[in-house]
Amino acid sequence: MTNFLRKYRPFVSAGIEEAIVYRANFLLFALGNTLGAFVTYFLWKAVFQSSTNSSLSGFTFPEMVLYIFLSFFTGILTSSDGSSSVGDEVKDGSIAMRILKPISFTANYFYEEIGSKLIDVGVLAVPLFGGILIYQIVGTGTPVLNLGNLLLYFFSATVAYLINFYFNICFSFTAFFFRNLWGSNVLKNALVIFMSGSLVPLAFFPPVLQNVLKVLPFSSLLYTPVMLYLGKYSMQQTISVLLLQIFWLIFFIFLAKIIWHFAIKHLSIQGG
Amino acid sequence: MSMIEVSNLTKDFRKTIKSPGLVGAFKSLIKPKYETFEAVKNLSFEVPKGEILGFIGANGAGKSTTIKMLTGILTPTSGYCRINDKIPQEDRQNYVKDIGVVFGQRTQLWWDLPLRETYSVLKEIYNVPDKNFYKRMDFLNEVLDLNDFITSPVRTLSLGQRMRADIAASLLHNPKVLFLDEPTIGLDVSVKDKIRHAIEQINQEEQTTIILTTHDLGDIELLCNRVFMIDHGQEVFDGTIKQLKNRFGHIREIEFELVNAEDANRLNFSQFGSAIEYSQNEKNVRVKFDSSKVSVPDVIRLTLSQVDVQDISVKDADIEDIVRRIFRKEAAEHD
Amino acid sequence: MRRVLHLEKIFISQYLKQTMEYKADFIVGVLGVLLNQVLNLIFLQVIFSQVPKLAGWSLQQIVFIYGFALIPKGLDHLFFDNLWIVGQKLVRKGEFDKYLTRPINPLFHVLVETFQVDAFGELLVGVILLVMSSATVHWTLLKVILFIVSIPFATAIYTALKIGTSAAAFWMKKSNTITYLFYMFNDFAKYPVSIFNHLIRWIISFVIPFAFTAFYPASYFLTGKNVLFNLGGLVVISVVFLFISIKIWNKGISSYESAGS
Ligand SMILES: Nc1ncnc2c1ncn2[C@@H]1O[C@H](COP(=O)(O)OP(=O)(O)O)[C@@H](O)[C@H]1O
Ligand SMILES: [Mg+2]
Repeated sequence: MTNFLRKYRPFVSAGIEEAIVYRANFLLFALGNTLGAFVTYFLWKAVFQSSTNSSLSGFTFPEMVLYIFLSFFTGILTSSDGSSSVGDEVKDGSIAMRILKPISFTANYFYEEIGSKLIDVGVLAVPLFGGILIYQIVGTGTPVLNLGNLLLYFFSATVAYLINFYFNICFSFTAFFFRNLWGSNVLKNALVIFMSGSLVPLAFFPPVLQNVLKVLPFSSLLYTPVMLYLGKYSMQQTISVLLLQIFWLIFFIFLAKIIWHFAIKHLSIQGG
Repeated sequence: MSMIEVSNLTKDFRKTIKSPGLVGAFKSLIKPKYETFEAVKNLSFEVPKGEILGFIGANGAGKSTTIKMLTGILTPTSGYCRINDKIPQEDRQNYVKDIGVVFGQRTQLWWDLPLRETYSVLKEIYNVPDKNFYKRMDFLNEVLDLNDFITSPVRTLSLGQRMRADIAASLLHNPKVLFLDEPTIGLDVSVKDKIRHAIEQINQEEQTTIILTTHDLGDIELLCNRVFMIDHGQEVFDGTIKQLKNRFGHIREIEFELVNAEDANRLNFSQFGSAIEYSQNEKNVRVKFDSSKVSVPDVIRLTLSQVDVQDISVKDADIEDIVRRIFRKEAAEHD
Repeated sequence: MRRVLHLEKIFISQYLKQTMEYKADFIVGVLGVLLNQVLNLIFLQVIFSQVPKLAGWSLQQIVFIYGFALIPKGLDHLFFDNLWIVGQKLVRKGEFDKYLTRPINPLFHVLVETFQVDAFGELLVGVILLVMSSATVHWTLLKVILFIVSIPFATAIYTALKIGTSAAAFWMKKSNTITYLFYMFNDFAKYPVSIFNHLIRWIISFVIPFAFTAFYPASYFLTGKNVLFNLGGLVVISVVFLFISIKIWNKGISSYESAGS
């Protein structure tokens, strides 16, 4: 055993070192993204200060603060970009290597992503989620910390991650048709950010639009877990939003399978 | 006056020292430790106009680093080079107008564009007048056979095609000096041949001064009148191929064709010690030895006394052997 | 100068041809960028459906500031986006070699090599917003001239920050995360600085001075006040930052180590 360790130690420490450098970069990126959340925070602060009402579309200022930072954190928690390399791989032809491997295409990406995902979330959870909790405990007028809601949040966020993973797999298959995923990625991200409620809580939209957005799969990606955390749903609503999430998860798992079979038949790999 | 003048050229790289373990990894992230590594040490040489200089050495000897200093990409730690009467680092933009550079492992072509487009962009970058450009393209087409793939996107070219295209790109503006860093790396024999001929032709027609680094001694033997060999960043040899062979070329090779292949078992050269080695392929036995320690007649006499021989041929020293031998010796000294 | 423009033209057309190799993707991308901006506007609309004024500014005025912010950002994005690649991989992989063996200024070469057409999304939305909200500005001939003059200076602040931070790669090998961190501060520029706390106000005014790319100049056009600080500051800051970043860049080039191959 010690022999084994001695033998592999150089590899392990090289791996750790690489991981640390990679994480350092990741943290700087995350810090950059946090700035966006702060802009939104100051904006809403000004809005609440300029308004005569203490609650807007059902949100008090402390709730809004929680919503802003929690949706930012949830966005990181549920993000999935394991399959984002599909575009490049189609472009340079190396996708063939993946297809040749005797592992399921999706599993391949899942295992690649899940390890780094856990570390990223673990590292960010401390300052971000820690900050959220402290604000909730120390801040005045904040919603009371509720263990049930916390558990519901983590369950719902996990489902949201899986939906996002399969959704992105489905989406990344469009690379087979567009050849390069940059453009469709920009379009997708714009839509997802908006429709998932990460820009503005869906409650601020006109009722008709709200109802449509709440049924679409995007609200399941972010809005649902965050609202559960804030305890905005009744028991009945909670059950129905969770069922909706599970429905979308199953839907995208099947869709991914169908598209995969379709794509493999029509696969044309560019020279490289 | 020489085209290229290199004087005491030295390049140190700063390398981060990695401390082992998790704590070490954190430490080197926060406060990295460095050590200097001398990739090129005190090189001095001159190249007259119109010469093709073969720049050789083992992997990691410092060839590319030297080329990068000569082309103005890297700033030397000390020493200088003056090429075409200019110091590359001082007057880079002006200097590079008159040089061409090819790095075998890289490309300067526009990846997603048809090859032809790369040339029209380079034409603008180097400000080549229309008339010269078309004449030049015709010439390069002829020498390097670009026509078959000039309309294909670069990403679809084979390695050999890409290399030809890259060489053409470096020659579009009719440079006075051409730097070729491993231009035949990874290519098959017929493409190598085409590229060697092209280099030869360009050198002859334009009196282009060429520095060529390579692993392939065929390149050197066909193209270079002079070789400059470095190892661990230092000069180990500078002279003609003939001198190289004289200095290090005591290796001789004799090939015997035996009457019976089984006779080879009876061969025994142990009295000459480690100065000799042989290999067998059916009826043919190749004997290699150091002619400064063992004489040719002695080897023949001993062989004839042991086996029946049909035919004998004595070969001249092969440069590949020479280089391999020098490197092996160097490596042994460094171990 | 004519040669500079000529080369710029050549590079742009080549880049477009390159992009057009992936036509469908390209068109979808431009739509995406456009949509992104439209959705951001809806966000503003949502905010102003709650309050008539934000920190003393009307929706029209905020729209003007927002639109103004998009113009220099879009111009920098359109012309100078290749700088990202310097810190991401050109230096680390030694691909920067190429720029040093060409007879044009390497910085210029890097800058003109790409032409990021998706920036038209930002520019288009920016222009539309400015036109929509231009009635709130009391335009005079002087203001029109100052407006036109202020745009290139504001753009230069973006570009200077990108040049300076991507030049860090010459020492660090990789610096795009630093560029990103700096760049993300531009989000603060789109709104009145008075909504932010003192620390952030100070940072975006003098350290990573994006406030001068939008809010300060825009507030001069809106109120006609403080021309010396709002526009004079813009010119001074932009010249100083550009000067410093080019110095860093040039120093970086002589420390460039290429990459072993
Ligand atoms: N950019 C660099 N940074 C650090 N070390 C380098 C760099 N480039 C080359 N080296 C080191 O310098 C030595 C010489 O490299 P190089 O000139 O590429 O050798 P060659 O071309 O002869 O194979 C090698 O040990 C290599 O690892
Ligand atoms: Mg080399």
